[in-house]
Amino acid sequence: MTEHKASIISWFRFDRKGLGFFAYSMHRFSGVVIVFYLYLHYAVLSNLLRGQATFDAVVRAAAYGPYGIFIVMDVLLTVVIFYHGANGVRLMLNEMGLGLAHHKALFFVLEAGAMALMLLFLYYAWQAVLSGSGL
Amino acid sequence: MSGNEYEFTIKRKDDHGKVSYSDYSVPKDRISTVFEGLLYIKENLDQTLSMRYSCTMEICGSCAVEVNGKPKMACSTIASSLKTDKIRVEPIRHFDVIKDLVVDLDSFFDKYRKGLPYIIREDYGDYSSELLQTPEQFQKYEQYSMCIKCGLCMAACPIVGTDEDYLGPASLTAVLRYNLDSRDEGGKYRLEAIGTEEGTSRCHYAGECSEVCPKGVDPSSAIQKLRWQVFKHEISGLIRGRRK
Repeated sequence: MTEHKASIISWFRFDRKGLGFFAYSMHRFSGVVIVFYLYLHYAVLSNLLRGQATFDAVVRAAAYGPYGIFIVMDVLLTVVIFYHGANGVRLMLNEMGLGLAHHKALFFVLEAGAMALMLLFLYYAWQAVLSGSGL
Repeated sequence: MSGNEYEFTIKRKDDHGKVSYSDYSVPKDRISTVFEGLLYIKENLDQTLSMRYSCTMEICGSCAVEVNGKPKMACSTIASSLKTDKIRVEPIRHFDVIKDLVVDLDSFFDKYRKGLPYIIREDYGDYSSELLQTPEQFQKYEQYSMCIKCGLCMAACPIVGTDEDYLGPASLTAVLRYNLDSRDEGGKYRLEAIGTEEGTSRCHYAGECSEVCPKGVDPSSAIQKLRWQVFKHEISGLIRGRRK
């Protein structure tokens, strides 16, 4: 099968594919984003080795960086994490044989629930940012 | 091309490996299925076109091709159902192409065999009376026994495309089919055979295999059920102290 081996780009070709493929592709993408964030988080935390003042400066720059770009990225990261978590729950249920006949409905229900929870989380997070206690 | 014709675009590969696309106009009133269109081209327009077929009624699984970007059986794909006069036919993905629409299915059947897809008996077939089966016992695996080994599920699976060692939906579904057969006693051998990282654990449940399966076998659900069997087998192995 070597001649027609596909590249990982094929994971993101949604044309003429079903909902399961979309869920699969986004799960992979969100997983990569989360892993990337994890290492970014370690990089930011490593500034503690240079002292509290340096770390605080980095965090302040991240929170109030140019054009609020890090706030936007934080929101996008939240979307990715909630999506990944909800789809992960669906996969765990399905892998245990639960809800297999209704896996598409399960996807919608869990994702809708996750997005509702995410909006709630973002509301309180935004309140914390506005009050300054989130830093 | 007029409104009375389908415009077929077929991906070709010659003996030297050169890939090209050929266009043919096929009268709508001469064909109903994509397969009939291909046959019309071969008989009337271009005898050099190579394709594989046999039963022409979705039983043999020979005429699997990609029609307008989706894996389908050419024989059961009604041309008018495609809602377009432009029909692009290509060989199914994830297999080496021998010529034109004919792919090399050796890798498919090699993987299929790895799942030990046959009845295994502890008595080695030396039983004195017929192995009876109730309708209820038959219905447990009936759906999975409908597989015609066309390879569409393998062509649609994104994991098969990027990991050529992955056993794939057809092979794993066959494992479940025989494990659910009341006459069979070889489940543990199959679970050992597929309990590797290229077995059920490689499936990420994209579900495309079930989307394209022409017989409604639903391989993706079969793999999830099989995954649970593998899990229980592994746990019982750990409890008994057997560790691979």
